[in-house]
Amino acid sequence: MTEPANKRPRRDHAMFDADLSGGVLNLHLFGRLMKWLVPYRVTLAISCVLILIASYLAVIMEILISRVLVDYIIVGDTEGNMPDLHMIALTRWVEAQLGVEPIFAAGILFFLIMVAFAIIGHLHRMTLIGSIVKGLRDLRQDLFAHMETRPMSFYDKVAVGRIMTRVTNDVESLYEMLRGMGSLVGEFVPFFVALTIMLSTSVKLTLILLALVPVVGVATYFFREASREVFRLVRNSVSALNQNLQENLAGMQVVQLSLREERNLDTYTEINKNNRRYEFRSINLNTIYGAFNDSLASVGLGVIIWYGGGQVVQDEMTLGGVILFTRFMGMLFTPVVTLGEQMNILFRAMASGERIFQALDWEEQIHEPENPVELPRRLRGKVEFRHVNFGYSPDVPILKDVSVVVEPGEKLAIVGPTGSGKSTMIRLLGRCYDFNRGMIFLDDIDLNDLRARDIRRRIGVVLQDFHIFSGTILDNIILGNPNISRERAIEASKTVNAHLFVSSLPQGYDTPLVERGNNLSQGQRQLLAFARVLAADPEILILDEATASIDTETELLIQDGLRSLMDGRTSILIAHRLQTIAEANKVLVLHHGVVREYGTHEELLAARGIYYTLHELQFQDVSLDEQGNRVDEDGHIISTTLDDSPPA
Amino acid sequence: MRAGRERTSRAACETMPRDWFRKTDKAISRIPAVFAGCAVADNNLKSLTRLFPIVGPYKWGIYSGFATFFVARFFEVGSYFAVSMGIDRINVMINDDAKPIDYSLTQIALLIVGCVLMRFVFVVHARRAIRRAGIHVSFDLRQKLYATVQRQGSDFFSRIGVGDIMTRAIQDISLIMRLVSHGLIQVVIMIYAPIFGLGAMLFKSPMLTLLILPLLPVLFIYAYNMAGAMARTSLAVQQNLSALSQHTQENLSGIRTIQAQAQEDNEIARFLVTNNAYADAFYDQARISSLMGAWTPFFASCAQLVILVYGGYLVLENQISVGDLVFFFACLNMLLQPIRMAGFFITTVQRAVVATDRLFEIFDAEPEIIDNPKPEVPALIRGEFELRHLNFTYPRSHRAALTDINLHIRAGESVAIVGRVGSGKSTLLKQFTRMVDTQAGQLFLDGHDIRDYPLAQLRSQIAQVLQDPFLFGEPLYHNISYDDPGRALDRIWDSADAAALRETITEFPAQMETVVGERGVTLSGGQKQRTTLARGLIRNAPVLILDDCFSSVDTETEEHILGRLKALRANMTTILVSHRVSTLRHADRIIVLDDGRIVEIGTHEELMRKDGIYAELERVQTQGGASHSSKGVAELDD
Repeated sequence: MTEPANKRPRRDHAMFDADLSGGVLNLHLFGRLMKWLVPYRVTLAISCVLILIASYLAVIMEILISRVLVDYIIVGDTEGNMPDLHMIALTRWVEAQLGVEPIFAAGILFFLIMVAFAIIGHLHRMTLIGSIVKGLRDLRQDLFAHMETRPMSFYDKVAVGRIMTRVTNDVESLYEMLRGMGSLVGEFVPFFVALTIMLSTSVKLTLILLALVPVVGVATYFFREASREVFRLVRNSVSALNQNLQENLAGMQVVQLSLREERNLDTYTEINKNNRRYEFRSINLNTIYGAFNDSLASVGLGVIIWYGGGQVVQDEMTLGGVILFTRFMGMLFTPVVTLGEQMNILFRAMASGERIFQALDWEEQIHEPENPVELPRRLRGKVEFRHVNFGYSPDVPILKDVSVVVEPGEKLAIVGPTGSGKSTMIRLLGRCYDFNRGMIFLDDIDLNDLRARDIRRRIGVVLQDFHIFSGTILDNIILGNPNISRERAIEASKTVNAHLFVSSLPQGYDTPLVERGNNLSQGQRQLLAFARVLAADPEILILDEATASIDTETELLIQDGLRSLMDGRTSILIAHRLQTIAEANKVLVLHHGVVREYGTHEELLAARGIYYTLHELQFQDVSLDEQGNRVDEDGHIISTTLDDSPPA
Repeated sequence: MRAGRERTSRAACETMPRDWFRKTDKAISRIPAVFAGCAVADNNLKSLTRLFPIVGPYKWGIYSGFATFFVARFFEVGSYFAVSMGIDRINVMINDDAKPIDYSLTQIALLIVGCVLMRFVFVVHARRAIRRAGIHVSFDLRQKLYATVQRQGSDFFSRIGVGDIMTRAIQDISLIMRLVSHGLIQVVIMIYAPIFGLGAMLFKSPMLTLLILPLLPVLFIYAYNMAGAMARTSLAVQQNLSALSQHTQENLSGIRTIQAQAQEDNEIARFLVTNNAYADAFYDQARISSLMGAWTPFFASCAQLVILVYGGYLVLENQISVGDLVFFFACLNMLLQPIRMAGFFITTVQRAVVATDRLFEIFDAEPEIIDNPKPEVPALIRGEFELRHLNFTYPRSHRAALTDINLHIRAGESVAIVGRVGSGKSTLLKQFTRMVDTQAGQLFLDGHDIRDYPLAQLRSQIAQVLQDPFLFGEPLYHNISYDDPGRALDRIWDSADAAALRETITEFPAQMETVVGERGVTLSGGQKQRTTLARGLIRNAPVLILDDCFSSVDTETEEHILGRLKALRANMTTILVSHRVSTLRHADRIIVLDDGRIVEIGTHEELMRKDGIYAELERVQTQGGASHSSKGVAELDD
């Protein structure tokens, strides 16, 4: 007996769907993110060194203009201890070496540095982006693999769209964040280099200018506070717009037949107007904030001229120093502005990161045995349910004490009204859910001692909603299994009668199928599903027979294909068609999760129980009382409307 | 059967292309590498002219944005000019031989701040005006799209799928919005910046300006070249991203199959390919934009080099002042702004062109059904249909869906239709509510051509329950009383009763308030079908049409519902489609359709006696028909 699944804490799947608001700077997330960046630490480190060099070169170019050109060459003022990073000396050296005018020497230096700057800058960006892109690719891959292996109980509760968002959008916004942080570094390094130079040029002026920086910070803070609510409103109104449109489109025929066009347009207009109102508000905030930040740097220019001028006159500064300050203003303010911009990205990424890690931490899985039993190469195909009790939630039992033995090669038909637990039975057998009360045996081996995958490889399942993947018909039969050759796939397809329609298509087995196979009819899809299972050659077959009506010709093809498919295989069928039931060795009647009848078709008919009723109902005139209840010969109500609530 | 198969394969060809990227790809591949961006813009600008009437109403906002941007630029140059004055003033103070300046440093500093403030005011107004126009445009486009789409019929939706329309509504509209709100700002920058930059430089020193000028053509060739590459790579990124989402979506919706077949490892490996392709595309784009980020400043530095050497020389020669030199450096930045913008702008335009084409494909669609302007029909429908030699062929199809249908449905009669997939059942039903455009003189309702009835009347008095049980993500009572949200709850419960839905609903804690769909309770197929059935029944319409809406309802419940229906619909016309003989036999008359023709018609007993297709169907369904071997099937099939 394995660890009981139901004793584990119940998972709140609504949590997975919850809109994680973010908004809190969660440094822990960075730590976790690092795990995916560590493999690329060498390139990341190189990138950091390169940005340092590039920043230096950028500063040197400015010094060449202000200190060398203006101070040394034009004004001829090289006195004092204003920093020049040895550029004046270097210029003199080049002058002497090449015997050129100072101005040309400066020009040559400038040219060399700008070439180096362009190359190093490019290398920095490429190493940085390369590492981030690769790291996040790995993260996405891990996330996908993790999601891919979550059990059915997870997918029952969580909308596919929510998982999609995590794999696509959320990883994207992490990229944006890392990229943004990269460019922040690319701006903060020059900021500090420039700051050092400025401080050693004039401490006072630098401090006065730095006083402007908090103003930007405060403005950013207020902008963020004000915009948070607006952004939320915009986001919500946009998703309301899309939701409304999507639904209206999907139900367009209903809309038109119910004459709801005008009313629906009115509703949409309201949402659209709301959206417009919020967009306007967001624009107002954005434009003011953006222009404010631009302007503040320019106000700094006034301060430099006004204050710096006095310093020059007092011989505290050179004219080049003043010019240097005006050139550095940009470097001083950009990182703060960028930081403000990055804040929004950062907080959005926080929420994305939380969602991603929540998904990665979602441990829910089918319980796997610690010491799994290996299955024999070929199964005999015996299946046994022994006192199985199960409910998707503990308080709603779906299966109650179900016991049945299916001998190798035998065909068992499970019948019963919707919601009686038929699908649940086959899902348990396919190890889609953990169960702890009762046991299921496969060739007399406890299912809980086997790996879920091993079980599924041996059990071929044909579900009602046969999924078609993008790709050709052949791809859909082979399903990436390297052991299945084209010949074998076609052979399988012939056996189950799928070959007829496939070969009539112009491209035959190479016909591309569109998403979800909308270009195939229901019956054709069913046949393909058979071919897919047959090609994999499982020892046990599980079939959930499609209820949807299919035309009679195809129906016959399907019946015939199914017969070939079941040939020599233990088969468990959720049967709806008399034909299928009649051909089964045994019939099991399930009602409200309880095995009510079990035996051959003839035995059960003779027993005149539920099976008899169900059978008769489908094919003969039914006597109904005034309330529409089905009554038996004595006038007793056998059943009213059957319970057909879904299992989940 | 064969014809049906042909149709399926044709449908495959029609629905397959997701044309967005292909079109764009084509547009780009046509362009030679050089002047790539330019060519794109020229080739397709025509389709952008279609946006004029939509942007038109907001042109004054845009003009005022242009005008204020102009003023803002003026003040920007003013502030640079003031800075250069300040430099010169300082120079005067330390060098006696420099050109004298009349203003004090304080005055100059105030001038700078004043210019900056004025610029702030004008820039805010300008950006706001233009971006508001963008929002207005996207508002209008959305309204137009919604209204247009609602008027369309089945032909339209078979051409453009729901997912496709959604992409157009979300992505394409936002691309056009970007063209207005960002693209126009980019245009303004590209026009004003060089004008002001060059103008100011010429004003200071024509000679120096002329030296920089030769650089400009080089810059533009380079910018356009880069823009082409940018457009190509960013398109590739989009393409790969969309492939990635599609892959994920498809994989997750097939997760049951994947896990049941133990295909997880294969799928994870398959995902790695898509994932890698996306990462590569991304890296490629980053490379191009990084190259651009390296080259653009390089060119800027070339110009700076000219200013540094030659400008420095001019200062030494006392032809210009130090302040002028600083002013040149500032103006140079302005001159180079368009280069950065060009890449963005061309991408913006390019995308907007494709987006416009795609949106107008929707806007240009004419409604398939048009009301007779002067209808003279009775206000109440009794429910008598007469089909006289009715033929119907779907647009763009070569094969008739219905051929020579002659049928008289009496008011109050119940008629059941049966036939294979593709035999024309649904097409026949669509004629009764004019979901398709029936030809004149072929279908009469109560003695009047059905084309004379206004659509609104027809659809308010003929209730149709569709094959696909579609529910809105709203409370159940909204879904049931969808045509009229104002109905009393009692009546909604009554119709739920008739559809055998009461028990299901009472099991939900929120009862009728239960929200269904992705955000609420998921209903089973049978429950959905019964809800849509209740939706059809509640209207108590003179004509009720049921299109195979019991397929997921188990037979017992179906019997129950049909029993109720008989009582409820006494003396009212009911037309239903079904595959089950157990359903069909309840009808007054049964019609067997095959390949778009009526092949059998009569009561259950009559058709049984006739021993044709219907009788065969009955045999198959009740006795299994196993005796008819697969050989027989194969013969039928070919």
